[in-house]
Parts: sequence; structure tokens; C-alpha cells
Amino acid sequence: MRERLFLYIDRDSPLHRLNPFTKLVLTFALILIAFLGPGYYLATAIFILILIPLSFWGRIWREFVSTSLRLLLPFFGFLFVMQSLFYPGGQTVLVNLWIFSVKAEGVGFAYLTATRILVVVASFLVFLLSTHPSTLMTDLARRGLPSPLIYVIVSTLQIIPQMRVKAETIIDAQRSRGLDTQGSLRKRVRALLPLVGPLVFSSLVDVEERAIAIEARAFSAKRPKTSLVEVPDSRAQMIARWVFVGIVLLAIGSRIWL
Amino acid sequence: MKLIDSIKKDFNTMTLVLIPVAIAINVVIGEIVALLKLPVYLDSIGTVLVGAICGPWAGALTGTLSNVIWGLIIDPNAFPWFPVAFFIGFVAGWCANFGLFKSWWKVVIAGFLIALTAAIVSTPIAVYLYGGITASGSSFITAYLLATGKSLITSVLSTNFLVEPVDKIATALLAFAIVKGLAERYLSRFPRAENVR
Repeated sequence: MRERLFLYIDRDSPLHRLNPFTKLVLTFALILIAFLGPGYYLATAIFILILIPLSFWGRIWREFVSTSLRLLLPFFGFLFVMQSLFYPGGQTVLVNLWIFSVKAEGVGFAYLTATRILVVVASFLVFLLSTHPSTLMTDLARRGLPSPLIYVIVSTLQIIPQMRVKAETIIDAQRSRGLDTQGSLRKRVRALLPLVGPLVFSSLVDVEERAIAIEARAFSAKRPKTSLVEVPDSRAQMIARWVFVGIVLLAIGSRIWL
Repeated sequence: MKLIDSIKKDFNTMTLVLIPVAIAINVVIGEIVALLKLPVYLDSIGTVLVGAICGPWAGALTGTLSNVIWGLIIDPNAFPWFPVAFFIGFVAGWCANFGLFKSWWKVVIAGFLIALTAAIVSTPIAVYLYGGITASGSSFITAYLLATGKSLITSVLSTNFLVEPVDKIATALLAFAIVKGLAERYLSRFPRAENVR
């Protein structure tokens, strides 16, 4: 189904070497500024002046561009068509197509929404392409995120590929027994249960064994646990994180007072 | 005190081990449904399951993490919708606490309540983040309602009220079917097994 589980790409770059929490704070800061800051072209500016250079800095710009396009282009096409034609309160007609009319306010609104969503997706992409999930989890654990929560997230990331393989096997097996997965709607609905049933029950069986296994390894013990991996952080990055927070507040403030 | 105790009750070791499996179930069944090209999502079955047998807070956590992890590994567009998943899990657990997961027709009611919550919570997100038009086919209905002169919020809300019940009632029924298929000895390990006896 998919060769790579996470979006993470293993490359050596300054962006990759940054502390994951710094990148996380930056991601959220950019998103908040794009949505709450002043100016119609703010989101566009953030994308062009900050996110694209960051992707070059992280040597991930090819994957960044291709993944962004893959995730967003269909949606943007749909968005522009819909909002241009159906935006409530649109008055200025640009062009008439059959019984529909393209309104300037709709196009304008579509552009604003599209660039904002672009910043959301692109910021997360820059973060995810340059940060390995276990590095992120180790760092968050060190910062005090409760260990049961860390366990849940890391465990999920391990189980999903296993379950996908299982699902593929079950789909193949059922198909070879004559299950129709491409017929009429009725047939496809009836195909759901024979595919889902074995998958779910075989996965749930492990749960009890896993629980016993981790309990035997002092999972619920309240003492702080030592990590095998160290994630580097620096004073400069800590200052940078507070600067990001400050800029978000500035952006919100300028919206209110200007 | 009562609130913290109620939260703590939901989470024993079995819950914590079930949640990753439930999230994986959400992801993989969502993908199977897309493969079969069915007109529903069915990506919250695990969430409802956890809500029913572990409690509302465990369900809420499952839903939230499900969206976060979906965003991490498949599509960052999923991130903003985590409050919807939070409430799906929470309402599922809440309905289970009220005994709505004890028979088939009661589960239909639970599914309907979940759908209602999902519709109400997803509307502000769709309106303020996406301007009402999301990437799914239901946006055509929204567009039609907009063209007939209704306000943006009314259009999005009406679309959601139309689309959610089918998906969520099916989800609740499937989660109930799973619970019915599990052995009593296994179920009794979970914090709120009494909800489905």
C-alpha cells in the first residue's frame, strides 16, 4: 500500500539537526500567524519567504513541493471552483459560464483560504519531513509528556504498518476465495465484513498479551525512566522558541490595534 | 476530585494497549472503505469501541490521537479536525455509560447522538478554517444550499446533519458487533465492561 510509513526523510541538514520541539513551536507559530495576523497576502508571504527557504535549508525541497502538490492541488481546484461560483454575498461578476457566474469576492475568499491551508499543510510538512517521530517522542518525553501517552503514540506508529500488511493479506485471501470487491454497491458493502472481521479480531487478540508483557516490564511504575537516546538542544534554540511566541502575540496584537 | 477519579478510572493498562490497536483499526478500516469506494468514512470504529468499553475520556483520547497520527503519517489536512474525533469518542463513552450499548436498537440511538455531535463540532471548523468547502463530496450539497441563499453556517450544518448519521450509525453498529464478538473473559479486563453486558 505505501513504501514509507512516516513522511520523514533521512538527510543531513541544519534543519534536521534542530531540536524537534523548536520545529514544532515554529510550525504552530507560523500557522497561528497565518490565521490571526494582519494582511491579505500574509499567508502567501509566509509560504514564499519562510517555508520555501526552510525546505531548501533542510534539503527536502523536492519532496516538499511534490507532497504539497499531491495533497493540496485537487482540493484547491475544488475550492476555487466552489467558492468562485457559490460564495454568499458575491456581487462583482467576472465572467458568466452557462448558468453560473464567477464572482470576484468568491475568488478572493478562495485565495485567502487556500493560502492559509497551504501554510498549515506546508508548515507541518517541513516539520514532518525533517523530524523522525521517535526523536520527537524522546524529546517530548524528556519535557514531561506522560509516558503512557508516549507509549500509545509510539506503539500506534509501530502497529499501523503491521496491520496494513495483515489487511493486504486478508484482502488477497478473500479475493482468491471469490470475494467481489469491485461489483455493485451491494456487493461492495457485503465485502466489508469479511475483510474487516478477521482483521479486527486477530488484532484485538494481541492486546491482552501485550498488556501482560509491558506490565512485566514495570510499565506502570511511577519512577522516572532513563532514555537511551539523547536529543540535542541549545540555548539559542530556546531563545528562538520564545521569540516565535512573541511574534505570534505581536501578530495578534497588530490585528487588534491596527 | 470526582472528575479526576472518573478520568483515571478509564485508563488501566489494557486501555493503554487497546488504544494503539483502535487507532490502527481506524486508519486501516478507513483505507479499506476507500478501497471499496463506499460512500462513508468509517474511520472512527476504533474510537467508538474504546469509548464504549473503556469510558468517555479514553474514547476522547483515542479520537484525538487518531487524528494527530493520521495527520502525521497520511495527510496533515486531518489535524484541525481533532475536536470532532474527541467528541465522537467522548459521546460514545457517555452513551455507553447510560446503557445505550446494550442492544442493537439502542446502539442506533447512540450512533445518532454521535452523528449529531460530530455535525455540530465539525461545522465551526469547516466554516472558519475552510470557508465551508472541505475536500469531500458533501461540499456539493453545501454549495447547493449556499446558492439557494442560506447562510454559510446553516448550509454547512445542514450538510453535516445529512451526511453524518449514516456514517456514524454504521460505525456504532460495527463497534457493537465487534464487542459482541469478544469473549466475556477478555472484555472483563477493560474498565467499563459493564457497559456492554
